[in-house]
Amino acid sequence: MKFCVCIKQVPDVQASVQTGRMVLNAYDASAVEQALVINENGTDEIDLILIGPASATETIRKALAMGASNATHIVMENVADLDSSAIAHLLAESLKGSNYDAILTGKQSQDSDSGLAGGMLAELLGIPYATNAVGMEATADGLLVTRQGDTGQEMLVLKAPCLVTCSNDMNNPRIPSLKGIMGAKRTTINTVQAGPVGTPKTKVEKTFPPAGRAPGLKMEGEPEELVAQLITKLQQEAGAI
Amino acid sequence: MKCILVVLSIQDGKIKRSSLEALTRAATIGEATSSPVHAVIMHSSAASFAAEAGSYGADTVFCLSDRIFDAHVNTPVLAGLTTVINQVDPKLIVAASTESIKDIAGALAIRIDAATLPDVASFDMVDGTVTCERPVMAAKMMAKTTSAHSRVLVTLRSGSYEAKASSGAGKMVEVPFEWDTNLLSATLKEIISTTGNTVDLSEAKVVVAAGRGVKDASGKALVDELASITGAAIGASRAVVETGLFPATAQIGQTGKVVSPDLYFAIGISGAIQHVAGMSNSRVIVAINKDADAPIFDVATYGLVGDCFKILPLLNDALRKALA
Amino acid sequence: MEDKFDVIIVGGGIAGLSAAMTLARGNAKFLLIERGEFCGAKNVSGGVLWGNDLAKLVPKYWKEEGGYERFVNHRRLTFMDDQSAFSVDFKSAHFDAPPYTGVTVLRSVFDAWLAGKVQEAIESSEHPDESFLATDILVEEVLQENGKVIGIRAGEERFYADCVILAEGVNNLLTRQIGLEKAYVPVDHMAIGVKEVLKLDASRLQDRFQLTGRSGLTNEFVGACSEGVEGGGFLYTNSDSISLGLVLGLKDLKEKEKTPYDVLNTFKQHPAVAAMIHGAETVEYSAHAVSTGDIKALPSELYKDGVLIAGEAAHLLLNAGKAIQGMDFAMRSGILAAETAIEGKKAGDFSSSMLKNYRTALENSYVLKDMRSFQDAVHLLHQQEMFSAIPNMICDFGRQFFTISGEPTPKASKMMQASIKRHSSYWDLVKLGLKGAKSL
Ligand SMILES: Cc1cc2nc3c(=O)[nH]c(=O)nc-3n(C[C@H](O)[C@H](O)[C@H](O)COP(=O)(O)OP(=O)(O)OC[C@H]3O[C@@H](n4cnc5c(N)ncnc54)[C@H](O)[C@@H]3O)c2cc1C
Ligand SMILES: Cc1cc2nc3c(=O)[nH]c(=O)nc-3n(C[C@H](O)[C@H](O)[C@H](O)COP(=O)(O)OP(=O)(O)OC[C@H]3O[C@@H](n4cnc5c(N)ncnc54)[C@H](O)[C@@H]3O)c2cc1C
Ligand SMILES: Nc1ncnc2c1ncn2[C@@H]1O[C@H](COP(=O)(O)O)[C@@H](O)[C@H]1O
Repeated sequence: MKFCVCIKQVPDVQASVQTGRMVLNAYDASAVEQALVINENGTDEIDLILIGPASATETIRKALAMGASNATHIVMENVADLDSSAIAHLLAESLKGSNYDAILTGKQSQDSDSGLAGGMLAELLGIPYATNAVGMEATADGLLVTRQGDTGQEMLVLKAPCLVTCSNDMNNPRIPSLKGIMGAKRTTINTVQAGPVGTPKTKVEKTFPPAGRAPGLKMEGEPEELVAQLITKLQQEAGAI
Repeated sequence: MKCILVVLSIQDGKIKRSSLEALTRAATIGEATSSPVHAVIMHSSAASFAAEAGSYGADTVFCLSDRIFDAHVNTPVLAGLTTVINQVDPKLIVAASTESIKDIAGALAIRIDAATLPDVASFDMVDGTVTCERPVMAAKMMAKTTSAHSRVLVTLRSGSYEAKASSGAGKMVEVPFEWDTNLLSATLKEIISTTGNTVDLSEAKVVVAAGRGVKDASGKALVDELASITGAAIGASRAVVETGLFPATAQIGQTGKVVSPDLYFAIGISGAIQHVAGMSNSRVIVAINKDADAPIFDVATYGLVGDCFKILPLLNDALRKALA
Repeated sequence: MEDKFDVIIVGGGIAGLSAAMTLARGNAKFLLIERGEFCGAKNVSGGVLWGNDLAKLVPKYWKEEGGYERFVNHRRLTFMDDQSAFSVDFKSAHFDAPPYTGVTVLRSVFDAWLAGKVQEAIESSEHPDESFLATDILVEEVLQENGKVIGIRAGEERFYADCVILAEGVNNLLTRQIGLEKAYVPVDHMAIGVKEVLKLDASRLQDRFQLTGRSGLTNEFVGACSEGVEGGGFLYTNSDSISLGLVLGLKDLKEKEKTPYDVLNTFKQHPAVAAMIHGAETVEYSAHAVSTGDIKALPSELYKDGVLIAGEAAHLLLNAGKAIQGMDFAMRSGILAAETAIEGKKAGDFSSSMLKNYRTALENSYVLKDMRSFQDAVHLLHQQEMFSAIPNMICDFGRQFFTISGEPTPKASKMMQASIKRHSSYWDLVKLGLKGAKSL
């Protein structure tokens, strides 16, 4: 299948000390992985597209090193100011008229946790889509997608061209090999300047740490004591039981 | 004044509590801004839920009755909602942030030209500007986000507001809806339901969540027992969903569900930020972990340092007595 | 062979990156392999990077925002007993202008930044597409042929080079694999370092430690900080955090049945330390082995056919009381190893007789010179008196000297004698004093 995977560079949310290090959005890594798995024995190529600052080439190379073949880098320095809708419009602009069987995105950005761009892009391109996919297989003329719903898993058949937003529960992305890393470095990235973007419809006024929880009580000792203490606390202090 | 429209989700034969929370909040804002508040229900027997919706503050309840809505597929839901939105022209659209709503939010926003504030922890509307606070960076930070767009779609995290019934009685309006299944570009092949008759996580007052420390079936049995004693829904960390010990529907966190019960038990869960992102708003958190330095203890109200295989049998007995 | 490099570097720590920078500048084709997800991900230092080699690798590095945390213009050595802290304190405006001779670093930030600089150097070298920094890859084996090192294996992949530089740090499994070091390192050649990073708002930090701009303080501790275990403590100021930790002798820890974590907790509760870290939140805890810097721990040789050992993999480290020097030694040895490899490339010779020049260069540099001259100090530091009796005595003296109680005050010399009597004997002290005078 001819895949295009939309990938995003996000800050490393895991880091305990904010290092300013940027990484490939974990959900997008799963999207790349699944495309690679589906195309394992085929000759179809996997293309990447990323909107981001010039320094985001590092992230593109990471996904290329996993095994993707080509990449388009839409250069945009202040990408952090854009909301999902602005991103989806830019992506749609770039993907209009392309002939991919499937476009993959992550289910959400690890930094903004929005989870919108995929559905928006599908609507803009007028193609069927499924979100929050935890499984994906190729069929004769499209994809069989298992998505995580509210009460269970829903299996959907999508006709190509279609779009799927991927959960990291779908797979464990491979770690690039040395050969992959070298190959990625030698791949020419198609770099284009971002076209005009309309004013975003939403605006982040400020970010701040959430109100922390009141400090708790850590109890150590024999299991019997711990349980007795807990029951007392739950009954008399917390009123939780 | 333009109205507020609340999308209500039906699950297991009733309106989801998180939808009622959203409706309650919308009603409060409606009152403050003197905007009418309407609701929309899409279900094979949508009308049967109209009265309840009215009692939670909906002035008009738009009902779209079609069996196609009973199993979630995004195309008909999008079509149905677009019909109602075009009819009532709301300024603000509010829905509980369920998987089914998340599935359609992006596409709907484009179709009806709405700005979207997804997965918010609180929201308000002042002078036509919608403001919200939403967790970002795996809930390590909060972002105050606003939109002055002419139409705004807000999806609300469950447990953010309390659902409160009022004395109101809404008017019911049936909206004709016909769906030609041939129009489905995506067809539903099968649903593998994993929740069965168990308590729905996002509605539960008590959640018992298991992590890698629970290890195996014998650990799971202890967790199941704790849940049945406390009437809890069962949650899980990604680690044990990955091993297949717990179903993916049970996953709590950044990838999984967001819960905010009265009481949360974290059993053998380390407390990675992506997990904490889904449960840190629980009122009382009890953590059992044998590693005294596990980060889960940073958020726990009561932390028990010890082996869950030793503690749980005792705890189950003690709770059974305490709750008898 | 499809991909043959001039040099393969194993390890993207200080030594590896310094070698890489030198090779990139020398237009060599190289592959650096780091097992961490990124350079710095797994690395722990206290961390003051001493000396001025950094200015050679990244000229005018101080003009950049990233990289280091603070430059050191204020140093303090503190002797502690349970209650007191007696400090020798030195601050000088001499240290205020670049090139600085000491900067504090957080390795996860610094190494990643330095890797970025190396990448830039590669891109402006003659072979921008033929040298690579590869992360998240573990080198499992050094490939040899007839006793000559010819490449490495990572998983199923094999890569070849004229010369391999092992810069794998103190857990030098590959160095052992090729027989330059014994399979088991004697326990008294090893120490364990534990460290916390505590976040404190930059303005509070500056007020608390009287810092201005990017100036910083280093504070070393001996005595009660280690609960009588051989070793010492450190506190360094970063941009908006404090690094606090201990380096403890592994053998002594075992004998005294203490865990480094417990000792660190006690250290944090010492009144002098508690006041310095008050209100700061622990955001990171880490532990890492450190070499004790005993020259006897050096590998049997630092090179053989086709291979050079740099940094702490070669146990190049000095901890003689006033500072830990591991990173600066790693930097210098990485540079020298790369320079030797470049010479080898010019001469087309990577045999041990050529690579011997690396050993010679190290012997002529301050690295091995200082390690040799300060060996006695290193040994002295490991004497029980140094982390119990002496700091106690000094604090005891301090308490008397600084007390004004409304009673007639004895002369300081009398006080000193009394303190010595309480904590040690004259003879022990005289012996130690003589040793000390000789060693420094
Ligand atoms: C993009 C992304 C999204 C993610 N989303 C989620 C998500 O939605 N939900 C989620 O949970 N994770 C998520 N994760 C994964 C998350 O980072 C952690 O890996 C995961 O939460 C770990 O699960 P755990 O705590 O069960 O396992 P571990 O981290 O392995 O912890 C197991 C704990 O059990 C304790 N233990 C072991 N034995 C016992 C015993 N006998 N008694 C008591 N305690 C014991 C151990 O001390 C340890 O603390 C996500 C990760 C990424 C990158
Ligand atoms: C608590 C503590 C405090 C310290 N304080 C100071 C201080 O203040 N000042 C100072 O100068 N020194 C200090 N040191 C010592 C200093 O950290 C080390 O001496 C220095 O890091 C050595 O640098 P290196 O490049 O040789 O090794 P490292 O920095 O350890 O780098 C080795 C690298 O090789 C990688 N690696 C290892 N094996 C493989 C493999 N098989 N495949 C791929 N990659 C591999 C590792 O991941 C690592 O990145 C301290 C040490 C500790 C533990
Ligand atoms: N700057 C970007 N460049 C390319 N794709 C992006 C970008 N931002 C978001 N996406 C895609 O949209 C998904 C997330 O959507 P959202 O959470 O709405 O930001 C990501 O997983 C990507 O697949």
